[in-house]
This record gives sequence, C-alpha cells and structure tokens, in this order.
Amino acid sequence: MYLPTATATEQALLQGFLLGGLYALTALGLSLVLGVLRIINLAHGEFLILGAFLGYYWLQRTGVDPLLGLVVVAPVVAGVGFVVQRWALSPLVRHGDEPALLTTFSLSIIGQNLFIILFTADSRLINRSYGFRALRIGAVSVPEIYLISFAAALVIFGAVHLLMQHSAFGRQVRASAEDPVAAAVVGVRVRRVHALTFALAAGCAAIGGVLAGIAFSFDATTGTSYLLTGFAVVVLGGLGSVAGTLGGGIVLGVVESVGAAVFGDGYLDFIGLMVFLVILALRPQGIFGWARR
Amino acid sequence: MTNTPAPTTSAVEHGTSSAASRLSRALAAGRARPWLPLLAAGAVVVIVYPFLASTYLLQIGFQILLYVAIGEAWNLIAGYGGMVSLGSAAFIGTGAYTLAELTGHGFPLVAAVVAGGAIAAVFAAAISPAMFRLRGVYFSVATLALAEALLLLISTISTFGGTTGLLLRSAVPSYLGLYWWGLGCAALSTAIVVWLLRSRLSLALRAIRDDQDVAQEMGVHAFRTKLVAFVLASFIMGAAGALQSLNTAYVEPSGSFSLQWTIDIVTVVIIGGMATRVGPWIGAVFTVVLVQVLASYPDIHDAITGVILILVIRFAPRGIWGTAVTTSARIRARGARGE
Amino acid sequence: MHAVSNPPGSPPRRGALLDVAGVTKRFGAVAAIDGVDLSVPFGEIHGVIGPNGAGKTTLIGLISGAHRLDGGRIVLDGRDITGLDAASRARLGIGRTHQVPRTFPQLTVLENLLLAQHNGARVRSRHRAMATSREILARTGLADAAGRQTRDLPLLSRKRLELARALALEPRILLLDEIGAGLSEPEVEELITLVASLRSQVDGILLVEHVLDVVTAACDNVTVLELGRVLVRGTPAQVLSDAAVAAAYMGTTAAAGEPQAARTPGVPPSQAAAENSVARAERPPVLIVDEVSAHYGGVRALRSVSVEVRQGEVVALLGANGAGKTTLANVVTGIVRADTGSIIAHGVDVTRFPPHEISALGVAHCMEGRRIFGDLSVEENLKVPAAVGRRTVQERLERVYDLFPELAELRRRPGTALSGGQQQMLAIGRALMSDPSLILFDEISLGLAPVVIQRIYESLARLRSSGTAMLLIEQNVERALGLADYVYVLSRGSLALSGHPAAVQQGPELRGLYLGAGGPDPSPSVR
Repeated sequence: MYLPTATATEQALLQGFLLGGLYALTALGLSLVLGVLRIINLAHGEFLILGAFLGYYWLQRTGVDPLLGLVVVAPVVAGVGFVVQRWALSPLVRHGDEPALLTTFSLSIIGQNLFIILFTADSRLINRSYGFRALRIGAVSVPEIYLISFAAALVIFGAVHLLMQHSAFGRQVRASAEDPVAAAVVGVRVRRVHALTFALAAGCAAIGGVLAGIAFSFDATTGTSYLLTGFAVVVLGGLGSVAGTLGGGIVLGVVESVGAAVFGDGYLDFIGLMVFLVILALRPQGIFGWARR
Repeated sequence: MTNTPAPTTSAVEHGTSSAASRLSRALAAGRARPWLPLLAAGAVVVIVYPFLASTYLLQIGFQILLYVAIGEAWNLIAGYGGMVSLGSAAFIGTGAYTLAELTGHGFPLVAAVVAGGAIAAVFAAAISPAMFRLRGVYFSVATLALAEALLLLISTISTFGGTTGLLLRSAVPSYLGLYWWGLGCAALSTAIVVWLLRSRLSLALRAIRDDQDVAQEMGVHAFRTKLVAFVLASFIMGAAGALQSLNTAYVEPSGSFSLQWTIDIVTVVIIGGMATRVGPWIGAVFTVVLVQVLASYPDIHDAITGVILILVIRFAPRGIWGTAVTTSARIRARGARGE
Repeated sequence: MHAVSNPPGSPPRRGALLDVAGVTKRFGAVAAIDGVDLSVPFGEIHGVIGPNGAGKTTLIGLISGAHRLDGGRIVLDGRDITGLDAASRARLGIGRTHQVPRTFPQLTVLENLLLAQHNGARVRSRHRAMATSREILARTGLADAAGRQTRDLPLLSRKRLELARALALEPRILLLDEIGAGLSEPEVEELITLVASLRSQVDGILLVEHVLDVVTAACDNVTVLELGRVLVRGTPAQVLSDAAVAAAYMGTTAAAGEPQAARTPGVPPSQAAAENSVARAERPPVLIVDEVSAHYGGVRALRSVSVEVRQGEVVALLGANGAGKTTLANVVTGIVRADTGSIIAHGVDVTRFPPHEISALGVAHCMEGRRIFGDLSVEENLKVPAAVGRRTVQERLERVYDLFPELAELRRRPGTALSGGQQQMLAIGRALMSDPSLILFDEISLGLAPVVIQRIYESLARLRSSGTAMLLIEQNVERALGLADYVYVLSRGSLALSGHPAAVQQGPELRGLYLGAGGPDPSPSVR
C-alpha cells in the first residue's frame, strides 16, 4: 500500500470514471429486471458473456468490427432473454421469490456449462486495436476502449431513458412496475411487458458484454463476476432507478480505481465487493436511491 | 410429525410375536415411529459399506457423506429457516484453510477439524448483524458476494499461499479413515439438526420463516433465533470443509471457495427435499450418482443438473422425499376415506 | 391467567389496564391515526368501531408494536411501552389476533400455541407448555385439530386458533381485530359466546369490529373512530343510536339518521326511475353476474350472488364493510377468480378472462383506493390504457379534460402530487380513456370532503346522461341512492336486498344491514 502521486491519482480518477460507464452499462439490464419484474436475475452475467462470445465469433467469422456487429448480436441475445422469461420464469410468478431466484441460479449454471461446451473454457479477448491503445489527455492516459464504452453507455442510457419516458411501451413498463394489477385492469398486457423488458435487459447486457470483452479477457465463468459487479452498481445507485444505475457505476469505477492505485491492482475486484457489502449493510436503498415500497 | 391413524381391529387381533403386538399397541397409541425400521436398515448399510467397498467406492461414500453433512446444515437455514444462502463456500473454505494452517503447526487432527468449524462459526457470528438486516433475495445475493469476496481475498494475499494455496504438511488419514470421519460428520450434522428441530428454537425458526412479523408478535426474538441457526450451520460447514482438505491433501482458493460447493448443495437439498430431515441423504446420493452416471460426459454435467433443478423447482418443489411423503399421505387419506 | 374480581360497587383498581394517549401515525402525508385517546379499564371489554378507513386496524398495530408511533404514548398498567418492540410487548402481556388470520401455514395448530407458550413472559417446561396448550385448545374448541397443519383449516377454525394462540401467551390484554369478519350468522353467534367467556381469563379486551352484532352483545363500552379521530364514546346502545355515528357509516346528512337520496343537480329524482321498472326489463344487459361464489384472502367472500346491469343504467351496490362488494367488482374484471358461476359482459362469457381482455371488451374498473400510477404524470396515466391511434387518443383526452378541467391544469404533474379528490378524478378519467360502455366504481367517495364528493358525482351524472352504464359500489348510501336506477345490497357475501332506490330506501332493512340488529327500530315513514 502506497500513496500515489498526483498524476497517478488523476489518472486513476479519470480511468475509474470512464470505466464506471462500462460498469453501469453492464448493470443496466439487472436494474431494469429488478425494477420492473422485481426479481434478481442471477443469470444476468451469462447474458453478458453470451454477448461477448457472440461478438468474438462475429469478428472471427466476418472480420467486421463487433461494435457494428452489435446490430445482430444484441437482438439475438434479446431473443434468448424473451424465450427464457416466457417459458422458465413467467410460470413461477405465483410462487414467490425463492423459486424464481433458484431458477435463475440454475439458468446461470446451465449457461456457464453450455459456454464451456460450445466455446471451451479458454480465456478470450476480442481483439481490437482500440482495446489496447491509450489516448493521452495532458499528463494522463486512458485506454481508448474506456472512452468508447463511456460514450456507448451515455448513448444506451439515453436511449433507454427516452424509451421509458416518452413511448407508449415505456409508459406501460412503468405502470406495470408500480402496480401490475392496476395496469392489467386498464388493459396493459403485463406478461408481455415483462417478457419484453427482460429481452431489453438481455440486449443491454449483450452490448455491455461485447464492450467488456474488448476491454478485458473473459471466459465461460466470468459471468458471476459481472453479476456481482452489476449488483454492486444497482445497490449503489438505488434499486430500480435507471439514472441511479449510471451514477452507481461511476462511483464504483472511481472507488475501485482509486483503491487499486492505493492497494495494488490485484485488489480491484475485491474492493468492489467490499464496497458493495458495506453499502448493502449500511444503506440498502443505495446512495442515490430512495427506499421503494 | 403427523400422528398415524388408529389401526383397524383386525391388525390388533393378528399381532403374533410380542414385538409385533407391541408395535401395533404403540401404533394404536399414536406414538410409533413407522420409519424406525427404515432408519435401522440405513444405519446397517452405512456401517457395513466400508468393509465391502473398494478404494474408489470409499471415496464416493466420503463424498456422499460430506454432502449430507453440508446439506443438512444448509437445509436448516434455508429449508427450515428461509435464509437461502448462496455463499456456503465461504464457510467451507474457511474450515479448509483453518485445518491446513493448524496441522501445519502440529495441531492434532481432531482439534484442527473442530477449530475449522469454530472459526467458520465465529466468522458467521461476526457478519450476521449486517447480513440479517437483509431479507429474502437481498440476503442471498449478499452471501454470494461474501463468498466471492473471500475467494478473491485469499487468492490475493500471500499469507495463505495466494492462488497456489497450501499443501498439508501433516499425515492425512487413509481412505477408510476418511470415510469414518465423513460418517461421523454426517451423523453429527444430522443429529444436531434433528435435535434442533425438536427444540423450541426450531419452532421459532419455522415461524420466522412463515411470517417473521407475526412471530415477533408472539414474543420471538428474530435476530437471536436466526443467529443460533446460522452459527450452528456454519460450524458444520467449516468442519466439513476441514475434512475436505484432508481428502485433497491441499487447499487452494478456486477449490475451497468455489461456487461449485453452492451449486452442489443447492442441488442436494432441493432434489432431495427441502425442509425434510431425510432429504439431504437422498439428495446427496442422487447428486453423486448423477456425477458417476454422467462420467462419460463430464462437460454437460452442470447443464443437466441445472435443467433437473429447474424442472424440480417447477413441478416437484418438495423434492424426492417431500413428494414421496405428501403422496403417501394422500394415498393413506384416500384409503381411509374409501373405506 | 388472571381472574378479575371486581364486582360492581367495589372501588376501581389503580389506573387503567391500557392507556392510549394522543397517539398519531402517519403513512406518507396521510394521518391514519390522529391524536387518539382511549382507555381500557381492568375487567372491561372495550369495542372500537368506525367506517372503512377509520384507522381501527392501524390502532391495533400501534398497540401491539407492529407500527412505530409518530406521536403520543401507550401505557400498559402504569408502564410506558411506547419505545418497546413487538416481541417485548408480547412478553409483557399484549396478545393480538389479526383481521385476516395469519397462522403460520406450515406449522400445526398445536405448534402455534407452543410457540406462544415458549416465547411468552415466563420460562415454561416442555411438559407444562404442552399441557397448557392442550387445555387452551379444548377451551376454544380446537382439541380435535391439534395435529393438523393450519393451511388445511376452515376460516372459523383459524380465527379460533388466532384467539387460542393469543391466549397461549397468557396475556394481560387481548387485542381482537375484526374477529367476526367473513363468518356466517351461526358462526358469529359461536364467536360471541367465546369472546364473552374470555372475560375471566384476561384483564381486559380491546375489540375492533365491523360486525356490530358482536359489539352490541359483547362490549361494555365503545369508542367510535372516523378518519383517524375519535368521534364519540359510550355504551353500545348510546353509540349505535347516535346520529353522528349513523352519518359516519352511511354518509347521511339528515339529523334523524334515515338515509335520504342526495340531490345531485341535473338528475331526475329516483322515483321517476321506479316508474321505468317495466322499461328496465326491455333494455339489453351489459353485465350479468350469475350465481357467482368466490374466495378472497382465505375467506368465502361471495356466496352465489347474481346481479345485472342494463344498458345505460346506474346500478348501486351497497352493503356494510366486508359484505363482498369489492370482491364482486374484482371478480367481474378478472382480478379475482370466481369459484363457481359465470360473468357475462356484452354477451361474452368472460369468467376466465384475464383483466386486460375484459378491459378490451369495454368494461372499465375504477378500483378501490384509486390505484393511480404515482410515478407517472397525469397525462401519462391517462395515456396508459389507450391502445389506439394518436388522433383517437387526443380526442379522448380532450373529453376527459372537458369533464375534469382540474386535470388539464395538472397534466404534467406526477400522480403523487395530487390531492385525494384529484386522484379520484384521474382514476375516473383513466377509466374513460378506454371508451368503456360499462364502468365499475369502487368506493370513490372514500376519504373525500363533501364538496369534492359533490363535484365527482356531478361528473358521474354527466357520464350517465351520455349513456354509459355504471356499477356504483358505495358506502355512502345517500349519494348512491340519489344517482341509481336500481339497487342491490350485499350482506356477508350474499344478496340481501334488491329493488328500486325508492323502495329500498323506505324499507327498514337497509339501516339494519349497516348498523346491525342492535340499532333502534327506525320509525316507518313515507317520503
């Protein structure tokens, strides 16, 4: 443990801030599902990694940049999400929280295993030049992929925000989230809204997955790590609040980055988890959030 | 436990040997335990097994018994107590590492195993004030995070060997010896759970699970009750973890603190039957047998387990034993009505 | 168990058993209980009554420790228990039952009592706890059910169990919350006997009730709550003949306490509607409820109820709280499943339809408690139902804003910023956005000031003249009778009365159904 220089601190802050955008993006799907369907999708990380793997193979097969390939990858993963929700989760609605939790847990197990079978357990990295290059901004340097991810996060969060606040579907989602019975009574097809929301969440996870796959290496089991990071972001940002998720991601990114500068790189993930546990213990409604119901 | 209905007169008349007539009189008094012969048979099997089994089968037996021990403990807090912990690996790993450290310093085996349980229990007690503030799914995710955090911590700091782990430096028991250790642990675990379930604590625990707010209105102190159950369960898991380290003769983070433990325990208890005392035994056998059956296809083992879990949760949520009990009760009730 | 020996004429014991002083409880901006004072002397059975929303169950929750106080004190036999949690209060001798029995579904009957025995004030041996529990079970008529799991028990048994379990705590005071709800006539009789027998086993009882027969038969004194405040106190006879109490329950404004039809301007007197009884049969029905039975919350809420609404007419559905009115509305719109019987809307059998499909058929439901979407703005709330083209949405929006100009001003504000009356208007507007031919209104005047109620009923009159059929569930008898073409009255889940408003209003049965047989005989009068 050592006290970093001013430049190193600046760098850590900036990098952490930008990385936070990526974290927020990886957590967006989790936040949506929690806010609307009120379940914690323990298989969230697997949707993310599925996106990463598909992005990897897209690049390999077509040679086209995986960010462009998202046009295909995201809808595919969204489709998987739709099917999963409709057939595995929707029937359990009546049975309480536990069965849904354990079912998503089982889905996570299945997912990770399928990845090993289909893609082997080897570690992968989506190989793009901007994944390695760093941009110099004054005295500090930031990896280009962090900037790209942050920009993507702003775009996606903005799009989701617009969708939620200014479209008919968004109205239906917010109504179903607040009072599903009242929504059904006024004609909203709540089950379909839930399935579509889950699909949207899966799609967002896939986008985050491709970006994460360019920035960091991943393998079949990395999903769990991203699940926990995502949950940390959601808790920090306030459960079920989309805007809060962006803020929570940035906070986590900064804290992790600064902590790693002080304690050493190896502690990055650990610090994230500890922050999460401490926040959960002290203030379950998050830094930005308010206690909902 | 439900009382058996009074037998018809013919059963009483036809009791021949003294044991049979005593049994039928006990049945009539409604105090018999019909599963006693089953228990006796099971005990015989379990004790005779190691003398007939090969080394390979002894290892299988040990695995089953370890799963029983951990399964009973998890069942106590999750099945009866409603606290679905996904972080059992934290306590199992703690026990494993404790034993590895202590035997390295010359501690006798028994003390090291007990210490493994004790340290895990202390750890559980320390985190419970924070953990119990969370209910339901938030508790579950927090336990998951805890296990991951511990795994990362142990991997990173060098005191415990980092990612390489530690080799056990003392002599480890033979496979037969391990089997007896495992049997002892499983028996102890079951005994603790059974004893606990007959106590006032279990009543309070089950009431908290059903309806914590009303339980408190009946004078139950929820935190204390949950704490005792959680600490006891963690003790058992720590001891089992210690035994596992004896089995492998080394400890390392990705094995001792692996998520696979949680996956296996959840499988054992859910398939066997949550909130039943026999469930974990059946579930353990099922799970280990499944591994052997799928031995030719190790790749898809987890996927198949996951599918089975989903199906069981959806269509047979009480697990094998739970469904068997409910079905036989229904058959008996229908029979009684049909007369 | 303390036997109370306090024969009349002897000097009173020190203080009261339970003293509730100036207690207040707020949920958000609403004060559910506002400065309530109440006292239960030793040896008394004290009743707490009041219309829906009066705060009776909240009061019990405050005394038992389920809720924290926002103001005031609670004193049990001289000891201030305001700061204690529920478990501590239970150990000090406060035992309660719940409105809807919460009897630990996975525990057996005996285990319910053992739990209370083991966690009460004194440490008991296994043996003694078992013996005492069995004895209490025998006394409360549950001896046979000792080993059964509570989820298999019928309602009356679960209510007995709640009582037995509270007794197993060996409490000093019993708080009974609506123990008579959902029971049939003979079951209520049994319960009254049971409650009366408890007098010798505890130091005092606080009894919250809707079923006023229980109150009259069992209570020594009664406190009446309305909108969180104490309205009046006295013996059951005094209180139930009090005009203010009748007004609170039935929404009457007349001093004599007989329900009158409220004059809503623009609506012809209901006598004219009575003359159209022949015409009624000729109009096509938009809704037929045929022999419907249903459960709600484990209670048999509806027993073979049949109701009809004809095209363009306003049907009032009246009845005391707990009579099953809301359940009926919920069954019609698919929120609750009917056990038997059928629902036919516009000629289509919708009995098994999900709510959104019934909505699509032109049946709208203004739910009890309004249930607007607080997170959404007023205009967003209005736009949620409309699954049609933009121009149609605009047209319908204009119509709603025309009916409720207040909403037009508030269109960008979030639902949470609206007052009760405005929320009710929003709920009605939202129901109108799907262009329904039948609207069910469930308790729209609850908790609103008379001026606001007047405003809302004026808008209902306008709706009526535009030809929309309406089913109006109301506790406010006066208002409902003033608007209705036909009236049904439910009592304890069954249809008790039906007919034209004038006939129903003049008959003596109506008041009896609300205030119980204990009320004074209303003098027959011709209006």
